[in-house]
Amino acid sequence: MTSPGLVPLPPVPGRILDAQLHLLDRQVLDHDGVPVTTVDDLELSGPDIGAEIPQGTPAPVLDALLTGPVLGTRIFGGRPPQSRLIRIPWKDVADVGVVVRLGVGGEGLDASWVERWVRDRIIARIPGGRHDPR
Amino acid sequence: MRSGELREPGMCRGWEARVPDTPATAPRRFLTLGLAAFAICFLAGCSGGISESVSTAAKDSSSAVATARLALKQDMDGKLTRAATATTLDDAQKEVETSRSTVQKLSPATPADRDTQRQALDVLDRCAAGFFTARAAVSADDGGAAPSTADGDRALAAAQDALEQLSHMVGSR
Amino acid sequence: MKRLLGVALGVLTAIGGFVDIGDLVTNAVVGSRFGLSLVWVVGVGVLGICLFANMSGRVAAASGRATFEVIRERLGPRAGLANLSASFLINLMTVTAEIGGVALALQLASSVHYLLWIPVAAVAVWLVIWRVKFSIMENVTGLLGLTLIVFAVALFLLKPDWGVLAGQALAPAVPAEETAPTYWYFAIALFGAAMTPYEVFFFSSGAVEEGWTVKDLVQSRINVLVGFPLGGLLSVAIAGCAAVVLLPAGISVTSLSQVILPVAEGAGKLGLAFVLVGVVAATFGAALETTLSSGYTLAQFFGWSWGKFRRPAQAARFHLAMIICMLVGIGVLATGVDPVLVTEYSVVFSAIALPLTYLPILIVSNDPQYMGKHVNGRAVNVLAMVYLVIILVASVAAIPLMIVTGAGA
Repeated sequence: MTSPGLVPLPPVPGRILDAQLHLLDRQVLDHDGVPVTTVDDLELSGPDIGAEIPQGTPAPVLDALLTGPVLGTRIFGGRPPQSRLIRIPWKDVADVGVVVRLGVGGEGLDASWVERWVRDRIIARIPGGRHDPR
Repeated sequence: MRSGELREPGMCRGWEARVPDTPATAPRRFLTLGLAAFAICFLAGCSGGISESVSTAAKDSSSAVATARLALKQDMDGKLTRAATATTLDDAQKEVETSRSTVQKLSPATPADRDTQRQALDVLDRCAAGFFTARAAVSADDGGAAPSTADGDRALAAAQDALEQLSHMVGSR
Repeated sequence: MKRLLGVALGVLTAIGGFVDIGDLVTNAVVGSRFGLSLVWVVGVGVLGICLFANMSGRVAAASGRATFEVIRERLGPRAGLANLSASFLINLMTVTAEIGGVALALQLASSVHYLLWIPVAAVAVWLVIWRVKFSIMENVTGLLGLTLIVFAVALFLLKPDWGVLAGQALAPAVPAEETAPTYWYFAIALFGAAMTPYEVFFFSSGAVEEGWTVKDLVQSRINVLVGFPLGGLLSVAIAGCAAVVLLPAGISVTSLSQVILPVAEGAGKLGLAFVLVGVVAATFGAALETTLSSGYTLAQFFGWSWGKFRRPAQAARFHLAMIICMLVGIGVLATGVDPVLVTEYSVVFSAIALPLTYLPILIVSNDPQYMGKHVNGRAVNVLAMVYLVIILVASVAAIPLMIVTGAGA
């Protein structure tokens, strides 16, 4: 499977995940099981596309899960500027299974700001918005 | 590094990777074919002359008048509430009015066509008058100066006969 | 005993909830123009929706995920977005048609103009979505919708010539006044009315709402296999009433008032009262389901928190999306467009969009990663393949037929 010239994969502890199969487009739940968003794209540290990769460069590292308007660029092409990305840092991820579970609550995340905004400005202002239906 | 670079296993995701490679001309070609088909059908419809449009208008109005007569009959038999009868008459009247405006908007080319259009408008006006009587009968049932439901039914029956004659005349042309 | 009551409730709700404005209008139009010669399409459609609903319920119970959530994961964002756009737009059209249907039925009951009823209907739909518990909402509208049985009752009271009706149904032929393309156009419309796409999204999301597990699959199967065919019989009764009263009188159905005239003819004012309650309940229930479906599809694609089991404050974007949908529906109806016309187009477009909703469910219900040991059996897959062909044929033929026949004129 390895092409000539590439160093073979060193044995690593833990699970091996396929980014497109196991991470992309997966539902993200916070530690209470409340949905936060879906993974729309991934942010990797490391060399840019098209740049020469010198020997001995460390492998790219997954920095964050991306969500939000980046879905548009993923489907139609292009790249949003770095400062505009809505990130869920990888350190917040607790488990990857059928869904991606975070170890933190959804309240403090960048990714849930639209939800919070809609809740505070619109839904909470309508009578009965905080009423528990059960 | 963009995530799409990964070659990935799995049946459906493989399709997803391949689908964007179809040439952009394919949808455009389909669109032009579709538009051409649409234009042909549209033109084919246009060249039918006004007999077809008048015939359709007569058929639709005939259905509306029959509906109104059925509603009036049920009203007289006590099977229908006034509210329902009134709504049914309104719906039927709207249909006749739509047919009438369709006929009015036609542009007849020959004197025969103009004659047909005039006769059709005549008949449809009589329908409208019949509906006026029927509506008046239903909205005021004090039995005084207002026409009775039976009067309304008679007016509509006459309109229905006229529509039948119109259909036969247009059909035979 | 309690178990039996639960089963009965499920079945009755399925029967009452089967008919919506699309079924009412399309079956009446078909009955008034073609008699019972298109009844076979209802049979094909009912079998299809049973298959569909069964699969989507099984997906939800076995995987705990609703269908649209899995569409994006399984097929990728491009296919998911295409699916979402088409389904959402057609859903919106159906919401408009259903709210219009509620308003038209209230106009028949009260003679207050239907445009005045539209905001009332929309606000009522919204209030139920906002406050009422999911199971109560389902059960009440389903049970009230059962009053549509009055169509079958009226059909018996009209004492039709059963031989003639059976002849039309069992030996289908295009009637003399209609053409073959119109026949097939209405066959597709009737198919789309029976196999409404929103039903699948609603069914699977509803299963998640009510927390179905594998144990509930048996109940769901009974609901579907008993309830939906009986609901299909109601559709046939609507067509039968139109065929017996309207077809001989030369009336072709273009408004809701004509749909209920046969019931008044057969069962008088009492029948009229029942049918109006039934129409309001059925279209109101369908308006709830389609509005919720729009919310479900958007929320599940984008990963928002969703569900009526959550407080609205905890599913803010979900509720906002539904409010916007209803406002759009009100806006469209306020332009004065005929709701019956919107209905007639929405069923045909539903038929066109069916492959988009059907194929993902078929793929997911065969995937052992989500389904575990509850993947489709051999027989189900064979039947599903047959239906795939039928659905594709109907979808492809719909637009050319629409152009050739002038949308069934």
